[in-house]
Amino acid sequence: MSERIQLTVAAGATSFAPRVGKDPGFLSRYSSALLLLLLVALEAGVVYFVIRDVRSANHEVQKMYASAVRGLRRIGGLQYEAQETRRSTLYALSTNDSNLQVVYADQSREADSRVTAGITEYLKEARLPREMELGKRLQRDWSDYLGVRNEVLASILEGSTKEAVAFDLAQGIPKFDQVRQDLEETQRLYDEQASQRLANVAALSRRSVLQLVLVLLCTVFLVSIFVWVLQKSKMASTLQLARMQMDFAASVSHELRTPLAVLCSAVDNIADGVVTGKEQMAKYGTVIRNQSQQINGLIGQILLFAATQDGKGRYVMRPIRVSEFIESAVTGTSELVRRAGFVLEQRVSPQLPKVLGDATALSQCLQNLITNALKYGEKARWIAIDATCEETRDRRNREVRISVYDRGKGIDRSELPRIFEPFYRSPSVVAEQIHGAGLGLPIAKSLAEAMGGRLSVASEVGVGTVFTLRLPVYEELSESQVGREGRN
Amino acid sequence: MLKPIIRNTATTLLMLAAGAILLWPPPARVAASQAKQDSLAIIVNQSNPVDNLSTAELRAVFLGERSHWPNGRRITLVMMEPGQFERDTVLHDVCRMSESDFRRRFLQGLLTGEVLVSPKTLSTPVGVRKFVFNVPGAIGYLRPADVDDSVKVIKIDGHLPSDAEYPLHVPLRAER
Repeated sequence: MSERIQLTVAAGATSFAPRVGKDPGFLSRYSSALLLLLLVALEAGVVYFVIRDVRSANHEVQKMYASAVRGLRRIGGLQYEAQETRRSTLYALSTNDSNLQVVYADQSREADSRVTAGITEYLKEARLPREMELGKRLQRDWSDYLGVRNEVLASILEGSTKEAVAFDLAQGIPKFDQVRQDLEETQRLYDEQASQRLANVAALSRRSVLQLVLVLLCTVFLVSIFVWVLQKSKMASTLQLARMQMDFAASVSHELRTPLAVLCSAVDNIADGVVTGKEQMAKYGTVIRNQSQQINGLIGQILLFAATQDGKGRYVMRPIRVSEFIESAVTGTSELVRRAGFVLEQRVSPQLPKVLGDATALSQCLQNLITNALKYGEKARWIAIDATCEETRDRRNREVRISVYDRGKGIDRSELPRIFEPFYRSPSVVAEQIHGAGLGLPIAKSLAEAMGGRLSVASEVGVGTVFTLRLPVYEELSESQVGREGRN
Repeated sequence: MLKPIIRNTATTLLMLAAGAILLWPPPARVAASQAKQDSLAIIVNQSNPVDNLSTAELRAVFLGERSHWPNGRRITLVMMEPGQFERDTVLHDVCRMSESDFRRRFLQGLLTGEVLVSPKTLSTPVGVRKFVFNVPGAIGYLRPADVDDSVKVIKIDGHLPSDAEYPLHVPLRAER
């Protein structure tokens, strides 16, 4: 951490190219993968819907089959056992042997107990009101019939055959018919339920087909939209890139041409022997040195921008005092401030906590902001640097806020979103022939973000502008954050 | 003249004493004989309101002299097949007549209309029990071991088969 801080321009940094926004080529670069991903996701969605509906239909069919088969089997069983109850009772009429009559009575009672158990089970499983009502009616009618059956059986066993037959004709047959009708109605109910379920399955199947068609149509529609947007984005990106490259070339050429013209003129005068005398030569020397420094500064900025944009900039991160890099920035720009005749005020709170960052990068960031204020500070010729420590917006942590104020012409609201775009220069600024490459603010923003901070702007036309650099307090960074920041 | 009278009187007394000894067994002997016997339970349908019958009422029922129960149900007599100890006991102790007299009586009763229903004959105790279970007006008899909850045991002269004073007994099955 104590080693000398270096801001290194990575290898290949000279092969930079202007970019649109933060990452103008993102959509273009990953278009195929994104398209594939979207298609896979949509197809997965379609498959999920289809499988779900098919399974649901299958389950419903199985349920319907099982329910229908079980219900019909149960009703069939009940019908048989009810007949067996009656049949065994009537068998007892066919003999005078009391022993055999008792056997038939036993058979009748066994069959009736199976019917009673079946009805109880039906009632237990009944869910629909109609099922329950039917089950209760069946239970009641069956109980009535058993009362008659018992009397008939008793008469038969007593040997009163005529009485038994008469009673059975008078009451047994009507009661048993009632039971038979109940059982038939139960069977019809099962049929109706099966038909209803079949209709549900058919509806489900229709819905599945409809869903499938809709989802496929949506897929085609979304893919078409996506491809269209992609193509449009690619085209816009290409156009913007071309425009930016043209702007960049024009801007850099213009920025280079002015000092070069001065240099050429000075050199021509010296070569032509126009410059004579030691004093005049010294004056020309100063001009040549200043213009060379201007060219060198512009090239340095371009290289620095390339370094910050390719993400390979290596920073030496360490806890540093805020006043340290503010002083460094102020010292670095003091000559410019003095020559421009500006007043620079500093309001740095004492006891500010340390921040984690690269001192050189942070100093460069601040210098860019000060230079920017000098360029657009106009007649007020006043710059202020304000450093405080405040709570973050979510009130969880604290952050150091360093603001650079000017009382210049301000920035129009419509231009605020664009001022951090590389090479962007406001038309009004170009018209006023204020020199610049449109790189100072983008570099400052990139550096701020590389330090884990943020750079924001607030401005009012005719009043002034304030750029605020927010940096997290070192003591409140977690270990993982420190490690992550340290690897930048 | 006096000597034969005395001799006859002595002979008569001796015979009376011997008869008394034979006909009056000591309590230990009675207990021993009862220990080798089963009670014979009289059973009716569970719906029958009758809980107790006197020996005379029981006889009237078994001879067909009484045709209906107090609830109006016709009485159906259930007998076991001839030759069974239980049947013999009922004929001897309740009806106090022989098998042939019993048959003759019912045949006559049916012809004259005095008896409405002839006794039903079942071959097994289980058959008797199931018959009584199925017929509300039925009455039959069973050993206590053959009785279950499907039928009701009634008292005779206020005694249940488990009471010592119960009047109807039948030899154990093993002795047959």
